Amino acid sequence: MALLDRSEWYGLARETNWTPRYVAENELFPADLSDPYGLPMKAWEAFDEPYKVSYREYVKVQREKDANAYSVKAALSRSKFYDSADEGYLSLLKLHYGAVSLTEYQACQAQGRMSRFSKAPGMRNTSTFGMMDEMRHTQLQLFFPHELVTRDRQFDWAHEATHTKNWAVLGGRHCMDDIMMTRDAITTSIMLSFAFETGLTNLQMVGLAADSEAIGDFTFSNMITSIQSDEARHAQLGTPSIEILIKNGKKAEAQKALDISFWRVWRLFAILTGIPMDYYIPLEKRHMSFKEFMHEWVIKQFVRQLNDIGLEKPWYWDMFLDDIENHHHCQQGGIWSWRPTVWWNPPGAVGPKEREWLEKKYPGWNDSYGRYWDVIIGNLLDGHEEKTHPNCIPVICNMCQIPVSNRPGPKWKARVYQLDYKEKRYNFCTPVCKWIFEQEPERYKDFETIVDRMYSGVIDPPTLPNVLTYMGIGVVSNGGRDGYDYSWINGYRKQAAE
Amino acid sequence: MAGKRDDERKNSVGPVLRAGEMADAVMQALEEDNPGKEFVVQDHVAYLRIETEGECIVRRETIERALGRPFKMPELEVNLTSFSGRIETTEDHMRFYLEKRL
Repeated sequence: MALLDRSEWYGLARETNWTPRYVAENELFPADLSDPYGLPMKAWEAFDEPYKVSYREYVKVQREKDANAYSVKAALSRSKFYDSADEGYLSLLKLHYGAVSLTEYQACQAQGRMSRFSKAPGMRNTSTFGMMDEMRHTQLQLFFPHELVTRDRQFDWAHEATHTKNWAVLGGRHCMDDIMMTRDAITTSIMLSFAFETGLTNLQMVGLAADSEAIGDFTFSNMITSIQSDEARHAQLGTPSIEILIKNGKKAEAQKALDISFWRVWRLFAILTGIPMDYYIPLEKRHMSFKEFMHEWVIKQFVRQLNDIGLEKPWYWDMFLDDIENHHHCQQGGIWSWRPTVWWNPPGAVGPKEREWLEKKYPGWNDSYGRYWDVIIGNLLDGHEEKTHPNCIPVICNMCQIPVSNRPGPKWKARVYQLDYKEKRYNFCTPVCKWIFEQEPERYKDFETIVDRMYSGVIDPPTLPNVLTYMGIGVVSNGGRDGYDYSWINGYRKQAAE
Repeated sequence: MAGKRDDERKNSVGPVLRAGEMADAVMQALEEDNPGKEFVVQDHVAYLRIETEGECIVRRETIERALGRPFKMPELEVNLTSFSGRIETTEDHMRFYLEKRL
C-alpha cells in the first residue's frame, strides 16, 4: 500500500498532550522548566511549526546530508589542502572548532530539554529533530578536525576547549549557559532558536563558507552549509512560540528574551566571525567585509523576519549598529596583543594593503584603530617585539566576559559602565551588558571573571605562568603567536626604505 | 550599497541554496511557478541568494521536471541552507512569504 501523505496524518500524530492523573500538571511541566509565563495548556496546543518533517523523511534527508559531507571530506583529504594552507586561515579553523564543536553538544541538551518540557506538542516534535541535528553537528565538528591534531596540537581544542577555563571559553560558556542551558523551554525557543539560530548562526555557517570556498577549503564550506540546512529547519520553532506569547499578551516578555539573547550572542559572533572575515582571511580571498555580511544576514534578513512576527528591533539598535563598526576591530587588537592566551595564532595582518581595504570598508579605521597598530608596527620595525606584549591586566566585562574596550583615536569611546550591587562593584563594556545584568542580578552576581579569579585566590599566586596553565595554555597545546611571524610588517619596511 | 534603513523595509523573500544542480532546478521552477515575478539572484559562490518581492512558491512537480527525475519536497532541505521571509512546507510545495508588507 502506498504511504499516506504527511499532511493526512501529521496533525493527528502530533497531538500528544494528555491529561495527567497521577501527578498534577505543574509537576509534569514545572513552570521554571516549561513555561514561567503561565499560559494555559490550550494556548500551547495551537503551536504550529512552519517547517514540518516526518521521522521517515528526516532519516532519509539526514542520511543524504551526511553521505555528502563525509564523502567530500574523504575525496579532498587527498588534496593536501591543509599542508600548505594559509596560517591565518588555519587560525580561523582552530577558533571555529574550539568555540563551536562542543557548543553544539550543549545545544543538543537544550533541544532535549525543550522536547521534554515544552507544553506545545509541536515544539516537542521539532526539537526532537533539533536534538538529533545538534548531535550530528557535534560529531561532524569533532571528526573533521581530528585528522589535523597530529599535525598541530592547537586543533585539539576542538574537543578540549569546553573543558578548560580559557578566558575565551569562559565568555562563550557564560553566554550559552545563560541563553540555552538554564532557561525554560519557551524562553530557550526564543533565545536559542530565534535570536541565536535564526538571527546569527547564518554568518558563521553560510557567510563564512563564501570565504572558505574562495580559499579552496571545500571540505569546510560544504560541512558548515550542510549543518546550517539543519538549523534552517529546527530554528523555525522559535516563531510560533513568539506568536503565541504575543497573542496571549506577553509581547514584552518575548521582546526582552530576544533583546537579552541577541546582544549576548552578537558579542561572541563579532569575535568568532568578524575577526576572521576581516583579518584572518588573506586579503585577496575576502568575499565581503564582516559588516557587509551583517548587513545581508541580520540587518536585512533577520530584522525583516522579526518585524513580520510582531516583535520590534532591540531597544539598543543604534548601539548595535555602532558596535558592528567597532567591536571586532577592538577585539582583534586585544586578542592579538594577548596572543599567548589563546589556542590559535592570530595574525596581526594589518599591512599597508590590508589597511587600505579596512579604511574602505570601515571609513575612519586608520584614524582610530590604525593609530593603535601604528605603535605596534613602530615597535616591531625597531626590533622591540617585547613591547608588543602588554604588561597590564584588562578590565573584563562582568556580563560578556570580554575585555572592556571601544574605539581608540580622536573619537575615543572606550569607557567602563559600573554598577554597585550588594557591596560589590561590577564592570560592564556597554550599557547593554549592564542592562542585562540589572534584569536579574541574582542570576549573574556570583560569576567570577578570569581577572576576578586572579584577585580572589582561585588562581594562586596569579603569576603569568599560573594564569596560562589555569587557562589550559601549555596543557592542551601551546598558546598563540603572530600567525605570520610578523611578515605582514614587511610592507612598512619597504615603504621606509623607499 | 543601499541605506540601512531602506534595507530593513524591503519585502524580500526566497531561498538561500548551496550552488549546484538543485539550485539551478529551483531557479527554473521558481520562474515557472511564479509567472510575472522578478527574481534577483546573488551569487556568493558557496551559496546563491534568490529573492523576490513578498511571496513565492516552488512546486515539487516543477522541480521534478527541471531535474528530469522523481523528487520529494523534503529533499530540498539538503541544499536549503537558509531563506529570507517565512516558510510553509507541504508535500507538494514550499512557499516563502511575509504576512506584512512594508
